[in-house]
Amino acid sequence: MIADLDQLEGSNQTELEKNGEHFEFNAPVTEAVSIGNTVVVGFGDGKIRFFKPDQKPHDIQAHSGVILCMVKAEDYILTGGDDGRFLQISMDGDIEEIANFGSRWVDSVAAYKGDRVCSSDKVVYLWSKENEKKSFTHQSTISGVTFSPNGKHLAVSRYGGVTVWRRGKNKWSSSNYSWKGSHGKVTFSPNGKYLVTSMQENQLHGWRLNDKADLAMSGYPAKIKSFNWVGDTPYLVTSGASEAVCWPFDGKEGPMGRKPVCVASGGKQYATFVESLTEENAVFVGFKDGLVLLSEIDEKKNSITIRNSTGSEVSAIVVSETRAHILIGDVKGNVTWSSIRPQQN
Amino acid sequence: MENSQQVPVTVLTGFLGAGKTTLLNRILTEQHGRKYAVIVNEFGEQGIDNDLVVDADEEVFEMNNGCICCTVRGDLIRILSGLMKRADKLDAIIVETTGLADPAPVAQTFFVDEDVADRTKLDAIVTVADAVHLSSQLEDHHEAEEQIAFADVLLLNKVDLVDDSALTRVKERIRKINPFAKIIQTTRCDAPLDEVVGLNAFSLERVLEVEPDFLESDHDHEHDDDVTSVSFVSDTPLDMDKFQTWFGDLLRTKGQDILRSKGILDFQGEEERYVFQGVHMLMDASPMGSWAEGKKRSSRIVFIGRNLDSMNLEEGFENCKIG
Repeated sequence: MIADLDQLEGSNQTELEKNGEHFEFNAPVTEAVSIGNTVVVGFGDGKIRFFKPDQKPHDIQAHSGVILCMVKAEDYILTGGDDGRFLQISMDGDIEEIANFGSRWVDSVAAYKGDRVCSSDKVVYLWSKENEKKSFTHQSTISGVTFSPNGKHLAVSRYGGVTVWRRGKNKWSSSNYSWKGSHGKVTFSPNGKYLVTSMQENQLHGWRLNDKADLAMSGYPAKIKSFNWVGDTPYLVTSGASEAVCWPFDGKEGPMGRKPVCVASGGKQYATFVESLTEENAVFVGFKDGLVLLSEIDEKKNSITIRNSTGSEVSAIVVSETRAHILIGDVKGNVTWSSIRPQQN
Repeated sequence: MENSQQVPVTVLTGFLGAGKTTLLNRILTEQHGRKYAVIVNEFGEQGIDNDLVVDADEEVFEMNNGCICCTVRGDLIRILSGLMKRADKLDAIIVETTGLADPAPVAQTFFVDEDVADRTKLDAIVTVADAVHLSSQLEDHHEAEEQIAFADVLLLNKVDLVDDSALTRVKERIRKINPFAKIIQTTRCDAPLDEVVGLNAFSLERVLEVEPDFLESDHDHEHDDDVTSVSFVSDTPLDMDKFQTWFGDLLRTKGQDILRSKGILDFQGEEERYVFQGVHMLMDASPMGSWAEGKKRSSRIVFIGRNLDSMNLEEGFENCKIG
């Protein structure tokens, strides 16, 4: 597929620029996820738009303010907004309000096989498949929640570290993973052995789940706004530098004492968004000036320009689950939607 | 780094009961048609009349940049980044701090965090002080002193509840800590709002307007912890290299004790005025146009902080003169 994608690069205009559809929506793109062949996009004005192949995008007014977070929950998406609402939305655009916290923002959402989770203020709320509601209170406002790949753990990032909740037979028990500072989003490695947060400082912090060994991943010139797991190694691909910085998480020690692989250089500007093409061990990298590159996680390979600079910071890149389309969104509300299947002539 | 896309931010400090909420509600209700976001603290006073009120946590953390006093507010960065995703542009943001908060991490957040600095700019630090209780608060809480020291505008509220001699004493006390803030006397925070918001007090241009009330440093304070201020003037031009070495070293080693610094400098061989303004170890500096025709060129520098006596500031400044 990479070989085919080579064809996307034109001399001046890229294939994506020529063949893609371009939209201006006048509200920042804040979140985007894919379900099947559809990409669902959240905006700063509370609208959700559905992009489906060969159809005009349609929108619904989901929130009255910024859509702060969005996650796929089987055939639905869950969203949280600065209007205090936690919503479940179907692919047809039917909205079900799960909870309403009034003036308190819903900062993060997560899902695992029927379990639906959101955080508002210092509390994580969990609605089980059976619609039983639980809540977990923390010492400070929560900035990220995520389930481990097997659903046994729920990680909650906050000021001073992460609280990991372990699912027991009858109750959940918690364990603290501490590291001084303000933590942002949190992620588990695909094998569930590592836990990583992006920090308000220009660094990532990680822990090995079983012994809480610390991993410091620093040296970034800017904040890490986006990360994603790629390939079988796997690599944690991150924004926040002039290239995509990819940390290897194979072996017993993961990235400890090892150098990251750096690919897709954007020159002097910094990467702001990364999206994985995991089967290809490749990554799409979006930059502060709108440039989007594609590169394999291999420093010997050259990157491909998918889109040239537009002047506006990339805030979302999503490849559809069917791997047929790509959507690029930016902070000014511009969206590019394009097929990434090679054109048959 | 100034552009019209930056939303101005007013930081509102002051002890509990001084009248912060009264002032806040006046700003929100009397400035019709303007869209404000208000960031309050969970321990703050209730009853704020605005659609967009966000709770903050006071997550102070140290930046890992070698600057020991460079603390910023993680919660503020997160909230501001959320507000910047809105489709409608805000006219201004007001950050209300708790009575016991140190204003430095709030102010420093606007200097240090790149995304915050890109999208917002600190307009002014406005401190509301209670004319009746300020003296005792200054004795009991060093935070009160810091709030006075950091202020660009100081609303001395409830002046109707003290007599003239008490009012004079409290003003003298304020002036000793911070002779550069604009003091507005009020009874129910009834200050003209255009003297409180939209000031651009943190712009370097405003430093040029600094006219300290007095120019001698004061030495009669009781204990070393007191916040005081000093200022120096020189009609002899300064040597830029010497100044940069001295000032850089000073902020690096004593920045923790220097709460605010400001200055207008006349460097030998430079046509333009150099202007700077700092909070602890962080500062902003740039050339700011030529000197006025026919007016004498001179350098002026002011410091507000603790233990200023121990820093040999006068000697350091003298040594920067040419010759």
